[in-house]
Formats: sequence, structure tokens, C-alpha cells
Amino acid sequence: MTVIGHSLKMLQKTCKQLIEKLLSNESYVRNIRRLICLQHKKLHILTYIHNTRTRKPMVATTNQSFTQSSSLVKNENKLDINTSTSSHQSTIFCLSSGKGKCGIAVIRVSGQACRQVLKDMAQFHHMPIPRQAVLRKIVDSGNGVVIDKGLVIFFPAPHSFTGEDCVEFHLHGGPAVVSALLCALHSIPGCREAHPGEFTKRAFMNGKLDMTEVEGLGDLIHAETEVQRRQALRQMDGDLSQLYQGWRADIIKCVADLEAFIDFSEDQDIEEHVVESVKSRVGKLRLEISRHLHDNRQGERLRDGVQVVILGEPNVGKSSLMNALSQRPAAIVTDVAGTTRDIIETHLNIAGYPVLLSDTAGLRDTADKVEKEGVIRARKRAEQADVKVVVLDLQQWQNCKNNNRKSSITEFVISQINSLGLQLYQASASSLQILNADLSDSDSTPQLVDEEYCQTIIVLNKLDLVQGNTLEDLKSIDNKVLNCAVGSCLEAQSGRELEPNSPVDFPSVCCVSCTTGEGMQEFLAILESKLKIMCGDPLAGSPSLTQARHRSHLTKCLADLEQFGQMTPADDFVIASEALRRVLREIGKLTGKITTEEILDVIFRDFCIGK
Amino acid sequence: ISGVNYVTLNKTKGPAVWGPRAQIDRDLYKRHMQAEILGTSNLTVTECAVEDLILTESQQSASSITKSICKGVILSTGEMVESKTVVITTGTFLRGCINIGLSVRPAGRIGDEPAIGLARSLEKAGFTMGRLKTGTPPRLDKNTIDYTQCGVTKGDNPPEPFSYLSTDVWIKADEQLDCHITRTSLEIEQIVHDSLPENKHVKEELSGPRYCPSLESKVLKFPGRTHQVWLEPEGFSSDLVYPNGLSCTMPAEYQQRIINLIPGLQRAKIVRPGYGVEYDYIDPRQLRPTLETLPIENLFLAGQINGTTGYEEAAAQGIIAGINAGLKGQNHEPFIVDRTEGYIGVLIDDLTTHGTNEPYRMFPSRAEFRICLRADNADMRLTRKGYKTGCVQRARYESACRMADLLDSNLDLLRSLKLETYKWDELLSRASSRPKGKVKSAVAVLQMVSIDELIKVQQTELGHLQSDRILKKRLEIEALYMLEIEKQQEEISEVRKDELLVLPMDIDYLRMPNNRGLPNDVRLKLAESRPHT
Repeated sequence: MTVIGHSLKMLQKTCKQLIEKLLSNESYVRNIRRLICLQHKKLHILTYIHNTRTRKPMVATTNQSFTQSSSLVKNENKLDINTSTSSHQSTIFCLSSGKGKCGIAVIRVSGQACRQVLKDMAQFHHMPIPRQAVLRKIVDSGNGVVIDKGLVIFFPAPHSFTGEDCVEFHLHGGPAVVSALLCALHSIPGCREAHPGEFTKRAFMNGKLDMTEVEGLGDLIHAETEVQRRQALRQMDGDLSQLYQGWRADIIKCVADLEAFIDFSEDQDIEEHVVESVKSRVGKLRLEISRHLHDNRQGERLRDGVQVVILGEPNVGKSSLMNALSQRPAAIVTDVAGTTRDIIETHLNIAGYPVLLSDTAGLRDTADKVEKEGVIRARKRAEQADVKVVVLDLQQWQNCKNNNRKSSITEFVISQINSLGLQLYQASASSLQILNADLSDSDSTPQLVDEEYCQTIIVLNKLDLVQGNTLEDLKSIDNKVLNCAVGSCLEAQSGRELEPNSPVDFPSVCCVSCTTGEGMQEFLAILESKLKIMCGDPLAGSPSLTQARHRSHLTKCLADLEQFGQMTPADDFVIASEALRRVLREIGKLTGKITTEEILDVIFRDFCIGK
Repeated sequence: ISGVNYVTLNKTKGPAVWGPRAQIDRDLYKRHMQAEILGTSNLTVTECAVEDLILTESQQSASSITKSICKGVILSTGEMVESKTVVITTGTFLRGCINIGLSVRPAGRIGDEPAIGLARSLEKAGFTMGRLKTGTPPRLDKNTIDYTQCGVTKGDNPPEPFSYLSTDVWIKADEQLDCHITRTSLEIEQIVHDSLPENKHVKEELSGPRYCPSLESKVLKFPGRTHQVWLEPEGFSSDLVYPNGLSCTMPAEYQQRIINLIPGLQRAKIVRPGYGVEYDYIDPRQLRPTLETLPIENLFLAGQINGTTGYEEAAAQGIIAGINAGLKGQNHEPFIVDRTEGYIGVLIDDLTTHGTNEPYRMFPSRAEFRICLRADNADMRLTRKGYKTGCVQRARYESACRMADLLDSNLDLLRSLKLETYKWDELLSRASSRPKGKVKSAVAVLQMVSIDELIKVQQTELGHLQSDRILKKRLEIEALYMLEIEKQQEEISEVRKDELLVLPMDIDYLRMPNNRGLPNDVRLKLAESRPHT
């Protein structure tokens, strides 16, 4: 066994050296060739590992003809398996619940040594009933000392998280208990502590989870707010995966039809209309994918947090608003204009939505170098914002009114915003702009080319400092009317055409006092509704895209589908089918499954082919 | 020099999938091949059944999967033939059985004995083996067919030769034999169903391929359709007709009834009924990429014994096994074609890593880099490689080099020939759509127009190409795929980047075998990375 282990190690080393040599070598093309080969082989191995459980071994039915391996080969195989259990397929364990003192700690074990663990440590003579909790004394098999009394659950392969034999120990959560159990597990041959993420990796390798599900699981573990949790759970449950798998199946069918047409149409019976039907299906798919991509990044935003940026002139109360929202003195507040220089960020959970709130330097022309840089940063941050909160000082309006009786609140808001020089209507994410450019180039899906507008809330602060008829005037204003008035003014300015059906796009205006807390409830309600628009409801409709990775693969898919759509019958079918094959590879990257054999499976299922 | 009908398949679908095909006169082929083989100097030909292998224990350590070394073969006469390397190509003979209806008899082919002793020897040597089946259609008498009811396909005019060294085929275009096509009728379905109780071959669910080679499986899997039947002549002097598409294994009287229900064949006579064959194959995962076996050194296997069909797939393996057996005998480096170099590479790589449980057939869709693997550029892909190994003649190599130089220089010329887009449009009198300012090379233009049009408008630069039909065609094809190939190169370099990250992990996977099959694979894989050790 050691000999094999040694020789394997040697081979491994040679392999590595070879790769290094290949990579450093100058004869580029040759290298590439070999690399593809290697990559391909890796793929084979991966799919092989994937399929070992589901795939039938070489079929052979006639008894006498199917040869038993000679005893020599049998022994040899056994040897291999033995070495693999001891050194290659180690059993892993780790503390799955949080670290530190707690009521109950959960320790998970996965791998072939699980049965040994149950025998030695939980002292089962027969394996317990699968998936049933049993109260046992847990013993350190090394010295026979009882560690704790706790629940033991056995999950035999393949019905476990990793697809291997798994055992869970539920013990009392004292640090000493946990460390004693971990030590005891260590002493069992073939057991070692798991690397981070290793359980999930094994689940993936054994085909228990696909890529998006793994990502969902990761998100679920990291979810901090309620809505994030809902989205992650949905993804882990395979909703996103199902959507992608569905597309993948569609494309496989399209590729298969086209391949069948290319390979067999001449000497077999495959009708021409196959190509037409592929074209129409590709068109449909293109529409679905671009719709999925055009979700205004709701899923990604929910996963990564919504960028809310507070903007305004100096000393209008931006930092006070920040402190009021985060309910702690996150930013320094003084009556000196320009106190805040750098961007101050804080993570908040607002009604279950994750928010990254940024307080910025007041926007004004200044000679102060530091403050100038602060203003530049503030403007930059404003460009990335998902929700802009523009803070205005009501006292200024009061002053205006006192000087010029005719100044209405709408005029005040508009002039203020103009003087701040803020672009309230603009696409916020640069990646999206690129995407839009791609789409509008092709002119094929105009109904989807809607720009993304970031949401704006206009906060009129210092309500507590307004008095007399100004206050009365304020009270008499209907917020909705004000919203519309401001909104249409701004829209008219930006030169954008009015869309009668989109009042949600209008900035919302509200009056607050950060000092007294008056109006804060109303502000929060508005913010919440904006967040809802930005993130969408993760449980409604089709699952949303949660990661930039998905977006990039799908965007590539879309481009290739477009290319296919532009093919004319006069063009080379092979090039057209290459485009589709690329789509398939991209989708495969999304879910982590790629195989050419599936295409053939579909061809043979749906067409009658053969000499 | 034996072809009777030359057709390039898929002519309408782009050069990457053109498939030159020739139907061969059986008698002529036999005569020419035997003359070639027997005329080869320093070659002794013996015709006799092989019963056993001469094996000795391998000197390698006990853990190696190579158990023994092959030193030659033992003939059925008891004679020993010693050799450094042995290539076995048993076709369907390895414990072959022929099925017609319910009757089963051991045979490799009608009229030939099966190889049973050899199968036992291989079994004893420790090979994992399985069983496959295939079939052949009944042969018809040409004079009893009414061709007026069938469609005709003539050979190509001009017929394309296979070899780069030939410019013409051996016969005139109009001397080619015609192929005819007819269709099965729906009434045959009832007969097929009636015959099933008397059809052993179909009843047994034995590793039938997913594609449907037999009439029975066509009817069973896709009922309610008619199926194409090609009537292919077997040669100039033969009266036999091979009805491609009618492979079947039912009793002969049912076959006759079916034949007579097909338009054009109402009066056709079956000369020899169709039959099914079952035979042993070895799990090809026990092979190296040179087709040398893992358990027995110096033993090479090729063809149906490795689980492929007996057509091009078998021929491809024969070449590789033969070349490598020769190289090994002289202690030279092995000759391996990889997936990016040719379909042979795809075939052998698939077999040796995946194995197969149906007769493996090559489909263009199996190749990832199909647009590079074209019939028109085989000389660029493989001739140099073959020449270095010593399996390509000097004349062929030199001709390939000449072509490579011509292609290179002319592609460079086309690349350097740049004009603004609107000028091209003007020259070629195409509707100008794009704004001014963009510059396009002649290569890019060639993706849209034919090379003749291009030459016409660029007489001074490209006039010299006018007369070279083959070069023109090849330039056109190269230009057509250039863009796509560049995209693939991007993908390849992406893979290369991934490789940097992923490979150490990959080795981890290698060390995690999940079942018995894998360790062998892993070794195979490692053996492949350094194939000469």
C-alpha cells in the first residue's frame, strides 16, 4: 500500500512538473493542444466522478461471456480501494454550530470511516436506524473515557448532505466537550478536520448540489436579513438551478436537433423544418434570458446590500440623519459646515433589506483641499447609489419665503437640487450600461431596453426649526401632489419623456426632524418601499439572478444566441451551431455541468438514425 | 482505384462537415489491397487462426497494472510466432454468434469460424470483457430490382479524390455506378411485430446501440414512419445489392416478405438473408492512447474488439495500433493524435477514458473543436506529425509543406490587403450599409463573398490565384472559419488560465477514486501525460 501511495505521489509530482513545463514552454500551440487535452481529461474525470453513482457500468448480460476479473486483478483493485480509503478519501469532521459556549453543539462527520466512528465512539454494535436521533454516551475510543451524553444521528450514503455516510453528534455546547470530541475523532484512523467548505465541496462532487445551489447555500449561511434569507433559501432549494437547467435542456435540444441535421440529414430522414423550429426556440430563449437579465439587478442588490447614499449641501443634517437611522453616533455631528469629509459607511437592516448606508461630505465649492476631495468622493458615490437621499434644509426655504413671498416648496426643491448639480436620472451600474448597449445594438429586443433609474428620496430636514405660517404651509401640502410636481419638473429638465404609468420613479419628498424624530417613521416607510422596488420580492415570480457571475455568463449566452439568430440560411450551419455550442458551455459554467454525450442522447432519442 | 461512386456528403452545410465518401467495389478492393500487402518488401504474410498468446510475467513491481508481456502468438496449428509486438483485430469474430430468427450459430461472419480460443486467452489474461451486437442487411439480386420506381443519386461530378496527392479519381465521372433510394412502407411494421417472437437477436436486450441500425429497432422505437433504403451496388462485376437501412435478424421468410413490400423491390430476390452478430469486446478503458493494452505489454488491440463499429472507426484504430506497434518494436516514441488534432484523437480519447457500452460510432458532434478538424486541412494537421514518426512518405510530406507555405503566404497577403469598407462594397457592387471609416482586410471580405469575386476585383494582387482551383478553395475555407477559430483560441486561453488555478485540485480528484473503474483511469490519465514511460 505504501508503495502505491509513494508511486502515486511521484506521478503527481511529475504531473505538476509537466504542467509547469508546459506553461513555461514557448511552443505555444503545442502547449495549448496538450492543455486542452488535459482539461478535457479533467472534465472526464469530473463527470466520471459525477456519474459513478448513476451510470451503469459496462453492460454485459450473457453470463458466461462476461468475464470475471482474474484473482490478480481483483486483488489489485482491492488494493487500490484500500489505499484510497486511508489516504485519498479521508473522512472529514468539523464543528458545524457556532464557536463559543452554547447550549448545544453540532459536530458533523462525513466519509467512509463514519461506521467506525459510530462503533467506536457511540458504541453501536449494529448500525442505528438511519436518520433517527438516538441518545448515547459518547466515548473517546482511545482511553474509554466518556466525553458527554448526546444525540447521535446516522445518515447512510447516499441519502445525506454530502452523499457519503454522515454522522451528526449533538452534544452540550461547552468548549471542553467540543474539543474533547474533536480530539477523539482525530484519533480514529482516516479522520481529519475538514477544510472550510469541504462538506459542500463533497456534496457538489457527489452530484448532490449544483453550482447555483452551492452558491445559494453559501448565501443562506451569510444571510443577515430576512429578505436575504428568503432569496438564498429559494436559490439553495434549486429554483434558480431549475430555471437554468430548463434553459440548458432547451439548448441541448436545439443543439442536438441542429447537429442531427448537420450530421444526418442527407442519408437519414431529418426534415428541413427542424432548423426553422430551432430558430424559433432560440428566439424564445433569447427573450427569456434577456428578461431574466433585465431585472434591474434586484437579486444581486439583495445579496450584496442596497447602496443608499445621503447627499446634500453642507450642514443640512446629513450626518444627523445617518445617526438617526443607525441609532448610534456613527458620524460626528457639529454645527460647523463641512464636518464630514470622508465617506462614512454603515450596514443596516431596514425592514429585512440589507442596506449599505453612506454619509458623504456636503456638496459645495471649497478651497479646502481635504474637503474638495471629500466632495469628489461624494459625487462619485452618488453615481453608484441605488437610492439617493437628498437632504435639504427647511430653514433655507423659510428664509426664501421671508425674502420672496411667492417661492413655493416645489420651486425651492427644484432650485436646490439644480444647484447641487445632481443627476437624478441616470443608469447607475456601468455593467448595465454595457449590457444595454449590446442589446440596443441588435435592435431585436427593443421592449426590454429600459434604462435603470435609481430611486431618490428628498428629505426636508430641520422641521423642528420651522415656525409660523411656513409650518402651516408645509402641513397643507399634499405629499403626493408635491412628489408629482417635483418629479415632472425634474423629468422635463432631464429631457426624458414622461411615462404616465411610472409614478414610482418620481422622487418622494418628506419632512423630518432628525433632532426630535418627527417624520422619521414616514421617511422609513418611504425608504422601505424604495428598497422593495430595488430588491423585488424574492418569493414572487421567477427566481432572480443573484450574482455578477451569473450575469456575465448569461450575457455571453445572449450574445451568442443573437449571433445564431442573425444567421441566414445561406450561412454556414457549422458556424451557427458553434454559437449554440458556446451557449451550452456558458450555461454549463453556470450550473457546473457539461457533457457532449447528452447531445447524442437527445439525437438518438428523437431521431431515427442508423446504417 | 476501387471506388464505384464518389459523393461528398453534407455539401450544403459548410466545409467543416463535408464528408468525402466513396463506395468501393469489393472485388477490386480485395485484389488491390492484397497486391499492396503481398508486394510490401520485408513482410511475411501467414493466414491462420490465432489460438493463444505467448505471455511472460512482467518484471515491474507487483503494484503495476501491467501483469505480463506479450511475446508472440500461438496458431491453431500449434505453431508459435514470436514477435516484439502483437496487434489483434478480431472484428466480430471474438466468440462471435450469428442470429437469424431463433437460430444461433457460432461464427464471426457468414461462412467463417469464430475465434473462441483467443477470447478465452484474453479472459484469462485478466481483461474485463463485455458483449455487443451488430447486424447486416440481406443482399439482393440486382437483376430482380425495378429501379424505375426508385430515386437516383449519381456520383459527384467531378468526383473528389481522398488523397491530397491525387487530383482526379481513377474513373471518369460518368462511369460511376448509380445509387438508388426507396422507402419502406408502413405495412412492414405488422410483419416486424409478427416476427418478434421468432427473433432472438432483438428480444435479448443486449447492448444494442442507441442509434437504430436494425429495421426492427427502427420500427419499435419510431413507429408510424417510413424509412429510407439506399440500394448500393457492391461493385462493377457483382450482381449483389446492399440495401442500406434494412439490417434485420428475423427469419428469412419474414425478410423476403418485407423486401417485397418495398417499392421497386416487389420482385426482388434475397441472395443471402440479413443476420445479427454478437461478439465479445474488451473494455477499452484498459487501453493506452497508443491502443496498447494496460494488462499486457506489447499487445495492441484495434477495431470492433475495442467496442467500436467496424467502419471508419476500426480503420482509424488500425492505423494507430499498427504505427505504435511498429514504433514500440523499434523502441521509438509513441504516436498519439490528440482531441484537437483529429477525429482519431477524439475517438481514442473517448474510448480510453469513458469506455462504451454500444458500438461506438464517430459523430462530428463528439469533437469539441470540429471547425479545426476538417477534411480539407488534414494534411496541415497530421502529415508533418506522421512524417516525423516515419509513417508518411517523403513525397506526401513535401507536398503538404508546399501547400502550407502557399496557404501561409497567401493568407498573409489577404490579411495585408486592406481597404475601407465602403470601397470594398463599391468594388464588389454590394449595397453599402456601414458608415465610412472602417477598414477591412481581404480575409474578412472573403467571409462574405466567394474568392472568385474577390480575385476579379483585385486582379493585380490576387490574379496569380486564378488558375489554382484547390488553393482557391482552401483559402476560402480558411477565411470562412478564421473568426470562429479565433474565438476558440480565446476559449483555449481561458482554459489555460483556469488550468493554472485548478490543476492542483484536479490531482486531488484523481486521488479520490469512487469506484473500481477509476484507479485504472487515473493511471491511464497519468500514463497519458507522460506516455512514453
